Amino acid sequence: MSFLLYKARLKCLLHNKENMFWCYLFPIMLATCFYFAFSNLVIEEEFATIKIAYDNEDTENDALKEAINQAEMTEGTSMFAVTYCDKEEANKLLNSGEIDAYIVGSNNPELFVMRSGLNETIIKAFLDSYRQMSATVETILKNNPEAMNNGLLEDVMQYESFVYEEKGKKNPDIVLVYFYSLLAFTCIFASNWGFDEVICIQADQSFRGARINVSPIHKMKLFLCNMTAAFTVHSGSIILLFGYLFFALKVDFGDNLGYIFITCLIGSLTGLTLGAAVCVWLKFKREVKEAILLIVLMGGAFLSGMMMVQMKYIVADKIPLLRYINPVNLITDAFYSLYYYETYDRYLLNISILGGLAILFGILSYIGIRRRDYASI
Amino acid sequence: MIVQVKGLVKRYDKLVALDYLNLDVEEGEIFGLLGPNGSGKTTAINCILALLKYDKGEINVFGKPMRPDAYDIKKDIGIVMQNVAVFDELTVFENIMYFCSLYIKDKAEVKRLTLEAIEFVSLEDYKNFYPKKLSGGLLRRLNIACGIAHKPKLIILDEPTVAVDPQSRNKILEGIKKLNKEGATIIYTSHYMEEVEQLCTKIAIIDKGRVIAQGTKEELKAMISLGEKITIEVYDLPENIINELKELSNIYSVDYLDNLLEIKSNRGKNNLVQVMQFLGDRNINFSKVLTELPTLNDVFLEITGKALRD
Repeated sequence: MSFLLYKARLKCLLHNKENMFWCYLFPIMLATCFYFAFSNLVIEEEFATIKIAYDNEDTENDALKEAINQAEMTEGTSMFAVTYCDKEEANKLLNSGEIDAYIVGSNNPELFVMRSGLNETIIKAFLDSYRQMSATVETILKNNPEAMNNGLLEDVMQYESFVYEEKGKKNPDIVLVYFYSLLAFTCIFASNWGFDEVICIQADQSFRGARINVSPIHKMKLFLCNMTAAFTVHSGSIILLFGYLFFALKVDFGDNLGYIFITCLIGSLTGLTLGAAVCVWLKFKREVKEAILLIVLMGGAFLSGMMMVQMKYIVADKIPLLRYINPVNLITDAFYSLYYYETYDRYLLNISILGGLAILFGILSYIGIRRRDYASI
Repeated sequence: MIVQVKGLVKRYDKLVALDYLNLDVEEGEIFGLLGPNGSGKTTAINCILALLKYDKGEINVFGKPMRPDAYDIKKDIGIVMQNVAVFDELTVFENIMYFCSLYIKDKAEVKRLTLEAIEFVSLEDYKNFYPKKLSGGLLRRLNIACGIAHKPKLIILDEPTVAVDPQSRNKILEGIKKLNKEGATIIYTSHYMEEVEQLCTKIAIIDKGRVIAQGTKEELKAMISLGEKITIEVYDLPENIINELKELSNIYSVDYLDNLLEIKSNRGKNNLVQVMQFLGDRNINFSKVLTELPTLNDVFLEITGKALRD
């Protein structure tokens, strides 16, 4: 590969202000927006002891009160901070926002809330579970009292966990998911560079392409040269975004930093070759091709759940094959698998398919652009 | 023979762009392809360069069949396209260097040739300019430099002077002559007959994808009957005089419009003397007299029945 051609192409790409903005500045701007918008979300959604009030006249025999006191958010942290008072006082506390809910204990306990939210949902789930358990114990006592002596009561009384703690290597951080999406989309945006590289060397796409085709340079050599330059420029944008997230926004990628970076590079390569393949094989005007590429990218992003997380599961359920041929999904899924799973099996599967797609798109692009004459230019 | 085109046919659906085109370009020639817009000049060039598929025919360059992967042939060809084909993101120097490095591997050699090309097109003062900062004429000169920097044996220039100021045009034409003197064979396409007439040693006139006449400019002019065109400024010329003029020997066309009498004569001596004597005998006063020998436009007009710029 000629370093001179590579260097010249690199300079051309770095002077492409439009692509440079979308590739370098836009993700940084978006990351900043995400940071300020979603960091508050995390603070709000952090689990903390829930303040409730409890009113029960029958203080002698109160299983619910005991259950409330024993409930734990995490080991050593009580789930509820309880104020014992009458219903009137509890109502005042609820109205003033000092508690999230109050429970009036009886054979059929009642829950009073002011609004719906995470804490209210947890309290309701707790109470539903308590009711179910009480009913179960009552039924057992009525029909088979001897079973109680065989330890069944202890089994039944095992409270379920209302708050599930992720068993991953790091504490869960919901904002990471947004930054993963941003990284994934930045990777796949490399398709625009790939698209431009094909425009540049195809005689039927640009006058410069025609001039290049008249020269004795091998198409493969020039294609590799240009794609390497594009990959270099795009990698720069990934490094910049990564550095910004890591150093400026202090996003904690945990132990998976290296894997995330590798995913970004392979994702960028796939994006680059995807853009090239789309440009080579679609026989339309440049503007139409650009529009189609945008639809492919946005469609891929939508189907991967970037815009609506349920879509990821709908696709997995209805069209599972699409999961494996959608590069955007493969990148996001690789990130998610690093986030959710302790093993790397799923991550490696995603990365392997992603790499395979990059090779496939690269070969398809080369077949399309290799030295040939055109029907019209 | 440097370029040989035999029976070349190129169709775009129902439109026949090249209709059994034949061309022979010999070494050291400046070969002009002259024809109106849409006559098939650029299509012919693109076929010769193996950029375009063609339906029938044979193209040999340097005695070998021209194909898209004929790298050994392509290394000796330089192309200056009709449209300016340079990178806006690179300076004049970098652009020439880039295109030169598509042909030459040695970096020092590329640099030397680039500087030579810059000097050749007189862009020394602009070598660090970006193309957007250049005028149309300078841009055309850059376009030429990018095509010839690697010192090709065959240079194809496709309408290189379109939308160029007279000063730049003269520079370009002088440059082409110089390249030819240095040993390059030139194929020059244009619809400007004056340029072709001034520059080319051999000319092929193309219309509707066919070569309608081919030869030196003298040979082409000898093909037509028009020998001389006499234009005389005369005021109030009676109709009967015009009719009498038409009856003179060797005269085949007389037109009178806006006080200008235009007489076309067949090849022969004393046509002007005969006309002057005729007007003098009838006491017809006239002011200006202009005689012209046939141009390539006249050749085109006589063969096709339409002017070259129609």
